[in-house]
Amino acid sequence: MSHERNRWLAAFAVTVYAFLFAPIVILIIFSFNDARRVFVWRGFTTEWYGRLFANDDLLDAVLVTFQVAAVAVVVSTVIGAALGLGLARLRGRGRAPAEMLLLLPIVTPEIVMGLSLLLFFLQLFDSTGSFGQLSIAHVTFCISYVAITVRARAAGMDPQLEEAARDLGDTALGALRHVTLPLIMPAVVAGALLAFALSFDDYVVTVFNSGIGTTTLPLYIYSAIKFGVSPEINAISTIIVAVVSLALLIAWRLGAFRGAARTPVAEPEAA
Amino acid sequence: MTSTAIDSPGAAGLRERAGDRLRNALLVLPGIGWLLLFFVVPLAFIVVISLGRRDELHRIVLDPLTLENYAQVFNPIFLPTIVQSLYLATATTVVSLAIGFPIAYWISRYGGHRKTLLLVLVMLPFWTSWLIRTYSWMIVLRDNGVVNQALQAVGLTQEPLILLYTDFSVILGMVYGFLPFTILPLFVSIDRLDPNLIAAARDLYADGRQAFLHVTLPLVRPGLIAAALLTFIPAMGDFVTPDILGGGQVTTIAKVIQERFLDGRDWPYGSALGFVLTILTLLGTLVALRTLRREVVGE
Amino acid sequence: MTGDSRTPGRETPFDLALGKRLTEAQWTRREFMARVAAFGLTAALTQLLVACGQAGASPSAAPATATPAPAGTIAAVATPTAAPTPIPDPEPELNVYNWLDYIGDGVIESFEEKYPVKVNYELFDDIYAAYEKLGDDGNGYDVSFPIGVDVPSFREAGTLLKLDQSLIPNLANLGPEWSNPGYDPGNQYSVPYVWWTTGIGYDTTRLEEVPTSSNVLWDPRYRNHISLMDDYQETMGLTLIQKGFSANTTDPAELDQAIARLTEGKPIVRTWTNDTISAMTGGDIWVGMIWGSDLYQISLENENIAYFIPQEGGVRGSDTMAIYSGAEHPIAAHLFINHMLDAQVSAANTNFIGYMGPNLAAQEFIDEAILNDPAVNPDKAILDKLEELLDLPNDVDKLYLDRWQAYRAG
Repeated sequence: MSHERNRWLAAFAVTVYAFLFAPIVILIIFSFNDARRVFVWRGFTTEWYGRLFANDDLLDAVLVTFQVAAVAVVVSTVIGAALGLGLARLRGRGRAPAEMLLLLPIVTPEIVMGLSLLLFFLQLFDSTGSFGQLSIAHVTFCISYVAITVRARAAGMDPQLEEAARDLGDTALGALRHVTLPLIMPAVVAGALLAFALSFDDYVVTVFNSGIGTTTLPLYIYSAIKFGVSPEINAISTIIVAVVSLALLIAWRLGAFRGAARTPVAEPEAA
Repeated sequence: MTSTAIDSPGAAGLRERAGDRLRNALLVLPGIGWLLLFFVVPLAFIVVISLGRRDELHRIVLDPLTLENYAQVFNPIFLPTIVQSLYLATATTVVSLAIGFPIAYWISRYGGHRKTLLLVLVMLPFWTSWLIRTYSWMIVLRDNGVVNQALQAVGLTQEPLILLYTDFSVILGMVYGFLPFTILPLFVSIDRLDPNLIAAARDLYADGRQAFLHVTLPLVRPGLIAAALLTFIPAMGDFVTPDILGGGQVTTIAKVIQERFLDGRDWPYGSALGFVLTILTLLGTLVALRTLRREVVGE
Repeated sequence: MTGDSRTPGRETPFDLALGKRLTEAQWTRREFMARVAAFGLTAALTQLLVACGQAGASPSAAPATATPAPAGTIAAVATPTAAPTPIPDPEPELNVYNWLDYIGDGVIESFEEKYPVKVNYELFDDIYAAYEKLGDDGNGYDVSFPIGVDVPSFREAGTLLKLDQSLIPNLANLGPEWSNPGYDPGNQYSVPYVWWTTGIGYDTTRLEEVPTSSNVLWDPRYRNHISLMDDYQETMGLTLIQKGFSANTTDPAELDQAIARLTEGKPIVRTWTNDTISAMTGGDIWVGMIWGSDLYQISLENENIAYFIPQEGGVRGSDTMAIYSGAEHPIAAHLFINHMLDAQVSAANTNFIGYMGPNLAAQEFIDEAILNDPAVNPDKAILDKLEELLDLPNDVDKLYLDRWQAYRAG
């Protein structure tokens, strides 16, 4: 591998990361802005952090958002990964309709999905919003993303590896567990990350399926548009980023990321 | 069950063993079941509504059922809107792929044991609120924003460049928002490439570009397709970014539908529009997928 | 109403749901009415006693008005508020759905101090999405803030609870102008909350002369620095008025003219947004359509921003407070509305959000700056010329939206 290419690519990568983090830097800076509106820099203050901790509504919203996201990620990753994997292996007539079904949530406009779920819960369960309903809604739009990501990886995987395991006497399920799963794990993780991003920031589906007491962060923030987004929101975002970064740093130091994303041709682990 | 020779990954000739079918069915069942129950059934409600109309009190009247909403769906005023949506989504996808692919490649090739960390770092900005990130872009791009002030300070420009509320700011915002959806599936696909294969290809073909075109690209095709899919389609549905960063200069079809539902308080019409858009997008996607996949063995 | 048919086999799922909800609501209302009747009787008796005896000293467990009864308060007859009449016990909770920051600092706290009620205060950013959320009967929310002109249709649809005005004695604080609004005569189903005007805000340092006409939004000198509202009724309304028509016209020919005018100006418009505050604060927009009280908010941080109502005329509107028919906490809801009508509370609301209230009694507590600001509190002469945007009939709505969406897309 030529070093030239290496350097250009690395430079490019740095630029992209800078692009990704530019707004984050701005938002952090403006969380210390001494002005009610987030737009113009006036001076330094930590006032917003103080007010943030007195702002129960905002803190509750953050909590609810994480709770829903946690449920959504766990459930949709499990179901979605299974779906993606199964679809990659599936043969027969069920396959085409299943693929269409998989695509449906992605091609449907969010407002249609949000309102349809509202109707569904209203008619069948007489509910107009609740934590459960919201979680179900989030899982529903996340599944397809996870499934497609996992399916792409599983489809490209060399089935000979599984074959080999079967030849060696493993069961269908066992081969899955010992060979396939480790190999598709990066895709599963990727899917989970996507699901989290989707759930955390979701607005349209959430606005119609959240109930009293289940206001999420996006809902709270959007309601602030009319009067200008308060720097308290910058403050909470900064804190979240800081906490997550810290967690990542610790996890990294503890070696959590070693060898998790493998290059292919891993040997099937002996049962 | 006869066994057939196995010659390439994903070959259709792989024999199906006992238990495979059951296992696959079991894997797929929860997902299919969930989607049927929580997606298709609610969608059916929407279809029912689209066959109704609203009365003067904005209530939905389903008796009698009518197709008049569908008759009005193909209103010519929607055509420029759809074209604009397609343009934005396509531009976003192309740029995202152009940026996403090298990054995914770099992480996979040079990330080493830091790969996952680097991937998670890509996602880190998305632990903040989308609206805040968008407002931050406004701070950067506006007339007296960071970019313009920097350019003027350095002397490159006298007057502020019009960057905000333009096509440029919209695509930038959309690419920014969808980059993870491009990078992750791409990475997943690139990462599984066998470096030996690449090395072998390099020996076979005279230069890196050929090796890339004939070996790497076909192998990462599933990832490319997934990335394109997961970027293009949601981009078609993103109306908030064009609204906020684009100042509404471009009207998207999703916005039109939203407006009919909410401002117009016309659920039946909005439902008909939404349903038709869904079906059209679905068909378009299936056609595109079939065309793209035809060359991939065994898919 | 065909949608309401109750013949078996023709009942729609919505009828079923609505019917169920109304039934529940009615039961609650019946219970509520019973309670009120019981206490009403007691209240009447007590007042008799008080009138005969001595004027009420010790506030009972739930004093009905704001703390120090200010001297100049229009107490009208004031009996219900001054005397310690026992009011029905409010429910322990109340669910309120409102715009963010659309209430004065400390108003909820003062309500919670007065009454043993916990207020769950939830927020929305889009009134139409909020209407969907609130549904046919509030869907769990007790109090919300529908726009005045939408009240008639909600009332007819049975979405709003008919108010028991005996629990809202502060209604007396409203001036004569607001005691009998056209959209809800007698304030039977809603109570006015704030009112506003839509006009044009501009940066005095950027514009070459002081504008007086809405034509300034078509002025090529300000190319790329103009903003219109992302609201078809408001923007088309402004244009219709400019052309001398009504903002609520049903004449397609007039609408065509308005759209033609808008299309003329389209190339120089920078953005269509309701968040004019951000756009102007950011500096990209020098002149744009804006709600008067939004402008008041900007002007607090930037004195170069001014406001005017076009000489051709403009639009005004009002937000109301209403109790929804499915409310599970109707008594608390009434008390809350009454609290909001208190002179000082209303003034606190105005002082914080910068929107004028309909509360005559509150005026002496409102900041001078607001009272004298023509953006927030224009002269009556100007106000009378303004139109309210009405809830358009379906087919007319389509006329507007078809043209609007074509204009935006073209």
